[in-house]
Amino acid sequence: MMTNLFSVFDPSAIFNFSLNWLSTFLGLLMIPSIYWLMPSRYNIMWNSILLTLHKEFKTLLGPSGHNGSTFIFISLFSLILFNNFMGLFPYIFTSTSHLTLTLSLALPLWLCFMLYGWINHTQHMFAHLVPQGTPAILMPFMVCIETISNIIRPGTLAVRLTANMIAGHLLLTLLGNTGPSMSYILVTFLLMAQIALLVLESAVAMIQSYVFAVLSTLYSSEVN
Amino acid sequence: MFSRAALLTAQRPLTVAATRSAAAAAAPGGAIERRQRPEHPGKVRLGFLPEEWFQFFYNKTGVTGPYTFGVGLITYLCSKEIYVMEHEYYSGLSLGIMAIIAVKKLGPVIAKWADGEIDKIESEWKEGREAELKVLSDAIEAEKKEQWRADGALLLMEAKKENIALQLEAAFRERAMNVYSEVKRRLDYQVECRHVERRLSQKHMVNWITTNVLASISPQQEKETLNKCIADLSALALRVKSA
Repeated sequence: MMTNLFSVFDPSAIFNFSLNWLSTFLGLLMIPSIYWLMPSRYNIMWNSILLTLHKEFKTLLGPSGHNGSTFIFISLFSLILFNNFMGLFPYIFTSTSHLTLTLSLALPLWLCFMLYGWINHTQHMFAHLVPQGTPAILMPFMVCIETISNIIRPGTLAVRLTANMIAGHLLLTLLGNTGPSMSYILVTFLLMAQIALLVLESAVAMIQSYVFAVLSTLYSSEVN
Repeated sequence: MFSRAALLTAQRPLTVAATRSAAAAAAPGGAIERRQRPEHPGKVRLGFLPEEWFQFFYNKTGVTGPYTFGVGLITYLCSKEIYVMEHEYYSGLSLGIMAIIAVKKLGPVIAKWADGEIDKIESEWKEGREAELKVLSDAIEAEKKEQWRADGALLLMEAKKENIALQLEAAFRERAMNVYSEVKRRLDYQVECRHVERRLSQKHMVNWITTNVLASISPQQEKETLNKCIADLSALALRVKSA
């Protein structure tokens, strides 16, 4: 029995070192090699996913997007996807359930976009603070609201992902915790419930990584 | 890729390098052994346990040994609570079942699609290779044809040489004819000259003889001759009269 429900999110490993963070880069081992001329099934799958994302993000970036600017978002997607999905496996630490990681990803990204926009397209950036068709009387409030909504963007990005991951893992942990004290018949039901939840969580893992990447793409396309 | 097949192949370069250096030492420029791509994954039992593990046990313990060892180890780990069945065990079990179902249900479909894509890529490569082969064989054919044509050109050259020889012969004969006619013309001129000279000298000699003969005749002789002629004429007249 675990003493604390949140101990599954504890990055500290042996000798009180935070070695669990190393699992962030476990996904690197999953990237298929391209040693041989003919791709393997895994290569084909991976390539088709990357290509689909590339097309998707290219449309989102629009014609003003620079060539190859989708790569950073695809990389971001891959990193988060591997972390989310591998986190579902037992005994693998989920880095994306920590704001430390997600905010580290979201905040510099957002800050870069904003600085780039303010320096290079100042008027465009501030014009965005008042949406088209706003009544004159609402304009001061709209500026406040838009400013706040813009500033909280990295926070929402990070918190959305983290909250989703934490929620899923908490549910799985709670369900799993009931196992040892159950009868075998009830364990069958527990397993079925957990499978259903895992299917959901797998979907969430993919969707959340996609959402993170797509929103980052959209934020980047807004600044130019 | 983090798979057993990749790990197994990753162990090979050492031996390959060794054979390569040996081959290089034995025969420089000899055939180099290439790395073979494992087409199929390694054999497994129970869906995921490598066959090598069972082979490792087989010589010592027979067929049932590895199973006994596995079950015994798991029982030991669980009963001594070295492996604790807490929440992660149940989520792991669920994930395992989910993975098995997903692999059994989606595996064949995805594998079929991926294999189709691989075949497509392979056929593209093959197409390119075959196109290249065709271009090269066409080039060889064209080269052979060109060589055949070059042989024809040799024949043509022979004919041209013969033609030139004929032309040279004709020109030579024409010139020889020219020389002949020119020489003949000059000789004819010489002959004509001689003829004229001879005629002139003859005429001159006749004139000279006549002149000299006439000069040599004295008036006495002329008179005598005239008298003789008159006498002859009278004799003749008498003879005619008598007849």
